[in-house]
Amino acid sequence: MKDIRKFQQMYRDGRMGRRDFMAALGALGVGTAAAAGFLTSAKALAATPQKGGTARYANNLHGPDDQMDPMVFTSGIDYTRGRATYNGLIQMVDGMVLAPELAEEWSANADATEYTFKIRKGVEFHDGSALTADDVAWTMSRHIGEESPSTAKALLAAITEWKVMDSHTVKAMLSSPDSDLPAKLTEKQMKIVKMGTEDFRKGNGTGPFVLESFEPGVRSTHVRNANYWREGANFDALEITGITDPLARANALIAGDVDLINQVNAKSIALVESSETARVISTPTSAYTGICILKNTAPGENDDFVKAMQYIQDRDRIVRSILKGHGTVGNDHPVGPAFGPDHCSELPIREFDPDKAKFHLDKSGVTAAELFVAPVRLGIEEISLLMQANLKKIGFDLTIRKVPSDGYWGAVWMKEPMNVVSWNMRPTANAQLAIQFAPHGNWNDTFWHNDRMGELLKAQLAETDEAKRHAMLCEMQTLVHNGSGMVIPAHVNEVDGASNKIHGIPTVPFGALGAYEWVEFAWMEA
Amino acid sequence: MTLLSALLRRTALGVATLFVVSVLIFVGTSILPGDVANIILGQMATPESLAALRTKLGLDEPAHIRYLIWLSDLLSGDLGFSKAGAGTGTVGTPISEMLMPRLINTIRLGGAVAIVAVPFAVTIGLLAAMYPGTRLDRFVTFTTLGLISVPEFLVATLLVLVIAVQLGWLPATAYISGQETGLKLVRALAMPALTLVIVASSQIMRMTRATVLNVMNSPYIEMAILKGVPRRRIILRHALLNAIGPIANVIALNLAYLVSGVVVVETIFAYPGLAKLMIDAVQTRDLPLVQACAMIFCATYIVLIFIADMVSILSNPRLRHPK
Repeated sequence: MKDIRKFQQMYRDGRMGRRDFMAALGALGVGTAAAAGFLTSAKALAATPQKGGTARYANNLHGPDDQMDPMVFTSGIDYTRGRATYNGLIQMVDGMVLAPELAEEWSANADATEYTFKIRKGVEFHDGSALTADDVAWTMSRHIGEESPSTAKALLAAITEWKVMDSHTVKAMLSSPDSDLPAKLTEKQMKIVKMGTEDFRKGNGTGPFVLESFEPGVRSTHVRNANYWREGANFDALEITGITDPLARANALIAGDVDLINQVNAKSIALVESSETARVISTPTSAYTGICILKNTAPGENDDFVKAMQYIQDRDRIVRSILKGHGTVGNDHPVGPAFGPDHCSELPIREFDPDKAKFHLDKSGVTAAELFVAPVRLGIEEISLLMQANLKKIGFDLTIRKVPSDGYWGAVWMKEPMNVVSWNMRPTANAQLAIQFAPHGNWNDTFWHNDRMGELLKAQLAETDEAKRHAMLCEMQTLVHNGSGMVIPAHVNEVDGASNKIHGIPTVPFGALGAYEWVEFAWMEA
Repeated sequence: MTLLSALLRRTALGVATLFVVSVLIFVGTSILPGDVANIILGQMATPESLAALRTKLGLDEPAHIRYLIWLSDLLSGDLGFSKAGAGTGTVGTPISEMLMPRLINTIRLGGAVAIVAVPFAVTIGLLAAMYPGTRLDRFVTFTTLGLISVPEFLVATLLVLVIAVQLGWLPATAYISGQETGLKLVRALAMPALTLVIVASSQIMRMTRATVLNVMNSPYIEMAILKGVPRRRIILRHALLNAIGPIANVIALNLAYLVSGVVVVETIFAYPGLAKLMIDAVQTRDLPLVQACAMIFCATYIVLIFIADMVSILSNPRLRHPK
């Protein structure tokens, strides 16, 4: 019975088709007629969202630096609160499809250097004031300029100005074409705030929930916005908090003290899966962790050394044993299969090959190297140790220096010749490539500056022909795969947990629990 | 007279200690790599945005100037603003506003533990001392030694596994919003309090037993035994009063630990207390917040140890009337 419920749950979550569901129940010895009955009951539940209930969410990180200013959002707890409190112009829904949010419609000129957004009318902020084009232009302008502390400004670097055309129309003027702009506007930092806001802790947005209380590092409470501009959330209220200890977080979910959690770690997955009250939701993403080898200094300036480090990655084993299957094999470039057609599936995976690794190592003449490892993402420490062990087998001693993640990005990253790195999934394949590999970019952390790469990044944004766009993306992925100093053995899934009472969580790979979209679309079985 | 002068001397020493600690904490936190601006912007920092944010947060002043500004604010009763939450030119949260609910939570948990643990531990410790070598004494000695050696995260995790997950009697997290009263509050506090009672009482028990037994070897106890005083009376009237000094000190240290050192328990039960706040503040290099927490912890130690010393002076006529 427990298994049947599990399969019903998977069917409701859209993780299993009708055919698979019937086959799975058949395997359990359930007759076809009875299985059809279970299917109908699962479907009925899937079709009728119920209103009401308080959803309690626990995030893996929180602290006194929790923010309510969307521009400097950095962690899942900020993003979740942001999704509840604010709206963006455009949103990403199931299957990575762009959908209108505060922008009713948008259009670009022929060469994608000028975008016009029609802002929805009749939308009100929580303080009762109406949303106008001024609010949108003011909000978006905060991301522009060298001094802007926006954590997403790299995505909007092409924009020179946001112009107010009339009370409900704004234009974005670009210095160079960007056909990806609408997708970039779905990022969590681009939520629209009231013009002139100074104290963001009040959370004056247009979103589905009104912020009731906000204590950084403790918790926040939110109540349903009765005045929302569309049908709105199913929950009556939200409680958002943090439980930093992974095991404590999983236990709280299983014991029913919280309904949703992010980051179920490898040790807790089995615990949650074997419980009767909660389930694991694992979504393939293009986020990755890997080893960053600086190309502007020894030993990374030697191409053979980098090749050796790439061939020594036992990718299948990393996905199978370290990530427990919750990941996909990486190919030393950042665009994973989660990007669908934008992923270059033509490029063969660089297989684990100790002989080739040894050949390249001997050729490089490098005899020792030191890797700085901090737990920047789950699994990276184990990946480094596996790499060290495999290198030892071919007679190379890799020294591993363990450092704390506290202060890592300022003290180690982009400084030490070999370090570990973690990158989240960006809204488009181009953005994913640009952030880390644009020549002379701020975050070019392997210091690999390739002119052809720079040209392609720009040209692809101006190209509208799908086949040519893909060819360009594929060429860029191949360039990174062959030339950069990045070792990307695996893309990691987003592994979250939810109570079996929670249904309707969308599947969007850009963050926890449907990229925070659960806030508005999920619902609770009474 | 001696009490008053001791009080004055102790107060002056306490203030001096606080000052030294504040300097040490300030220097220590400044030595750590990165500052608030680094931490807020994290992986997404650029040199320009870092410089802009530093100016906004007043971090471009030299360190000693920032320390003096903090000190003069403190002397005028202003704890300042938390830098980490300030982010983008938004006013940060006033530190007093962040501290108060946490301080209340910490006192609540520490108080609950103290009310249960201190009488319980002293009684059991005395019982063990009254009947040394008996089965009861051996049992107490072995279990307390075992529990002291088990790290508290293990105790906490085992309790969660059994009481919250398997039996479902109590919530797995001690999440409290501040509005809970009566039974709800007791339920929320029960798990972390139980963990800490186990950890804290073991030490008090052992210390009570050891000091009382130590006194039992003194000549005047031998005298009491020889003149036929019952054992119970010897322990309660003669030995305990003379052992109070060290016991009071170990209780004070344990109470101070309950205020400042319970970060592991706070993390496992997601209990919003002061210790976790200080760790978070260090991780975000939020100096004013680190300083405020450090001052509270330091003051707690000073006051509690002062009280313990007073108790031992008062309980000892030789110290009460020095020659």
